[in-house]
Amino acid sequence: MHKWFYTKMALGNLGKNRKIILPYLIMSIGIITMFYIMHAIAINEGLASLPGADSIITILFFGTVVIGIFSAIFMFYTNSFLIKQRKKEIGLYNILGLEKKHIAKMLSIETFFIALVAMTFGLLGGMVLSKLMFMILLRLLGFDVTLKFAVSGVSILISVLLFGGIFLSTLLFNVGHIHLSRPIELLKGGNLGEREPKSKWIMALTGAMALGAGYYIALTVESPLEAIFIFFIAVVLVMIGTYLLFTTGSIVVLKMLRRNKNFYYKTKNFTSVSGMIYRMKQNAVGLANICILSTAVLVSLSTTVSLYMGMEDVLETRYPHEIGIMMPGGIPEDHEKVNEMVNQLVAEKNVELEHFNTVRTKGFPVVVSDNEFIVDLDKGFDFKMNFVQLVPLEDFNILENSNVELNEDEILIYTNLEALGLESIVLGGSEFQVKEELADSLLEPKSETALMMNIYVVVEDAETLHGIYNTIFGGDDQTLDYITSIDVIGTDEAELAFNNGIYGGVSGFDFDIRADSKMLSKDSFLSAYGGFLFLGIFLGTLFLMATVLIIYYKQISEGYDDKVRFDIMQKVGMGESEVKSTIKRQIVMVFFIPLIAAIVHISFAFNVIVKMLALFSFSNISLFMVCTAVTVLIFAIIYFIVYALTARAYYRIVQ
Amino acid sequence: MVILEVNNLKKVYTTRFGGNQVKALSNVTFSVEKGEYVAIMGESGSGKTTLLNILAALDQPTSGEVLLDGRNMKNIKSSEMSAFRRDHLGFVFQDFNLLDNFSIEDNIFLPLVLAKNDHKTISEKLSPIAKKLGIEAILPKFPYEVSGGEKQRAAVARALITSPLLVLADEPTGALDSRATDHLLELFTKINHEGQTVLMVTHSTKAASHAGRVLFIKDGEVFHQIYRGDMTTESMYQKISDTLTLITTGGLQNA
Repeated sequence: MHKWFYTKMALGNLGKNRKIILPYLIMSIGIITMFYIMHAIAINEGLASLPGADSIITILFFGTVVIGIFSAIFMFYTNSFLIKQRKKEIGLYNILGLEKKHIAKMLSIETFFIALVAMTFGLLGGMVLSKLMFMILLRLLGFDVTLKFAVSGVSILISVLLFGGIFLSTLLFNVGHIHLSRPIELLKGGNLGEREPKSKWIMALTGAMALGAGYYIALTVESPLEAIFIFFIAVVLVMIGTYLLFTTGSIVVLKMLRRNKNFYYKTKNFTSVSGMIYRMKQNAVGLANICILSTAVLVSLSTTVSLYMGMEDVLETRYPHEIGIMMPGGIPEDHEKVNEMVNQLVAEKNVELEHFNTVRTKGFPVVVSDNEFIVDLDKGFDFKMNFVQLVPLEDFNILENSNVELNEDEILIYTNLEALGLESIVLGGSEFQVKEELADSLLEPKSETALMMNIYVVVEDAETLHGIYNTIFGGDDQTLDYITSIDVIGTDEAELAFNNGIYGGVSGFDFDIRADSKMLSKDSFLSAYGGFLFLGIFLGTLFLMATVLIIYYKQISEGYDDKVRFDIMQKVGMGESEVKSTIKRQIVMVFFIPLIAAIVHISFAFNVIVKMLALFSFSNISLFMVCTAVTVLIFAIIYFIVYALTARAYYRIVQ
Repeated sequence: MVILEVNNLKKVYTTRFGGNQVKALSNVTFSVEKGEYVAIMGESGSGKTTLLNILAALDQPTSGEVLLDGRNMKNIKSSEMSAFRRDHLGFVFQDFNLLDNFSIEDNIFLPLVLAKNDHKTISEKLSPIAKKLGIEAILPKFPYEVSGGEKQRAAVARALITSPLLVLADEPTGALDSRATDHLLELFTKINHEGQTVLMVTHSTKAASHAGRVLFIKDGEVFHQIYRGDMTTESMYQKISDTLTLITTGGLQNA
């Protein structure tokens, strides 16, 4: 036999099957490109040298792993589709006299060519685009620098190893699959006598319950810290629910429709309902995949875009002032030293003080029961706990520029969340009359999404404060937490020098003290949130690619199945326009159900996501709502375009 | 009364790049009376299927005309065509053409549901037909659960349920074993005796021997025809056999 025989045959096969091979190839190229880019950026040395880049590098490595795992799963999925479509062809070769080892050889050469093309173009694409992506990333991160970005040998090696491995495993899978089947089975391929799916009530009910439970948890979660734990439970429940409902729930509903004779025996419903029963049997898993991928795209994009766009707000919430200095358990002498340091820096760095204030507090966790603030030292940390912050009146009056007067048994009260509405409170065994519950205060801005409730209790003076504290905790503690906030005016350079000066000064003290500068923190915020955004867009694109490909393959495989069906219907008297409208109704239903389900999922997830975003100090709910709506809209438009394009492929097959 | 009239039918296929022309039908003329049972015989490639496709309005003739119930099929608008076909013609195919996603019952209902009949009317129509064809027991089953003979009887029921003017059968026994073939041919005879006009295309002598008249097609023309008269099925079989021998050996041309 001619030595190029198999090669010729393999190339011929690839050409003949280009309708299904080409999308697979393009997607493989895309995935390899993305993997290479992500990895090359993550290991870039220039990036590591930038300040605050630690978090972004962690995020990028995380992204690399996710893409790696996802590509393996996804390439296996599409491969199994490909081999299913080609069963008949392979069975024919087998019957015409190619032994299974010859077929294995042919498939190996085919896979080799696909892998070669995919890796060559994928890596080339990666090398070309990685520079661009890197620049985009730097812009997102707010770094105004140009960094060297070269082709990374390590990334190439890892990509080749990973994807070479994936291609090899798909080949082994295919060869094993063919080895196990008889030629006649291969020839018959997909259309073995199809059984009608059974109604599985229990599974359908379980699915509905899982989905309901997931939704319920997502809707009712209240505390942000709880949200993070519960989010994963809810996600798993919703995923289980989605799979079960798509696979069994759909059949149960359709069969119920079929039992309703007056509904079922209508021209429109007759062909649709019975067609859908079969479609759902073959496609339920694929549709559930599309639904979950779509939800993933929507969640990752809407949250990361919101975080990035809402960063200024976040900074505002987290840092009400340019500089905050916190001295826990401090004494007046140390406080004097801090004041000195600040005043000296103001003179030295040529800035002007706009705001300079210190509030002294003493805080501890309590559980509020009626009007009693109970302190239980043995109890562990709990999401339901609140923090009491005792503040002496003197500091409050200076901060608010007011002159409130209080008696010994009177207090002012203020919380960062909803008002308590108490007339008196019991704290440390004594009862205090609430003179006023403040609607707003400079102590801390009101928030809807704060992690914990801070209850500020303003008492007559520092002596009263120590009295309460020492009654509760015993001992004779005379220290206070000094919380200093500073705003200055000056040129950018002067302000930067001042901020750095404060950091330097604080680290020079020998007592417990720390400083937080909005200006200096902004970089690490940008780095983290920009990184999230980058990852969100990257993964969003990847998931979108996967969705598109699944939709395309679904359309094609259904096209071949439906062709036979519609031929028969036309023979027994269905008009061409009726055929068209029936086809349209079915594919519209099949392809828009996952999108609608994804949108429902994301609506139910809204509450829990908002709570989780609060952990990132993100509280701009309306911004998140707009971001989500825009993301959903854009996604729906892309989805629709993909649908329209692939539907054309479908029509061409059917007619 | 003449139900179907076929006049000088001609069909020429042109290959894809316009090069060669293949004449499938050169000049076919015949007619079918109401209540007749006509078989059209011919070898593979003689133009049987082309003829049937044109009669079923699934294909257009190059020239000539087909009149069904006095209406020229050429003048029927394409938008009305499927309704016309549904109301006037019933089809039985070699490979049954049952839809695997419908139960046998729903398969039989299909043409009526497409014609927008309500459930009550169609179920009333089904029971006498199902009884006549002996398929009552398999109605709730699915095509993959029943035998070939049962599938074909279901297909016959689907053809009959619209009470069509003419039943067109394309090699209805082609995929059946001999027992199922006998059973099906008896059925055709039975429904024909009840007044149903049947036009069957076949190359099985046995199938044709049940018909009242047999037309032979060769090279795209009606070559010969035999009337049953009062012959038994056996002598009809003998006569068809002889005719086929003559056609294949070319003897008849000289006779």
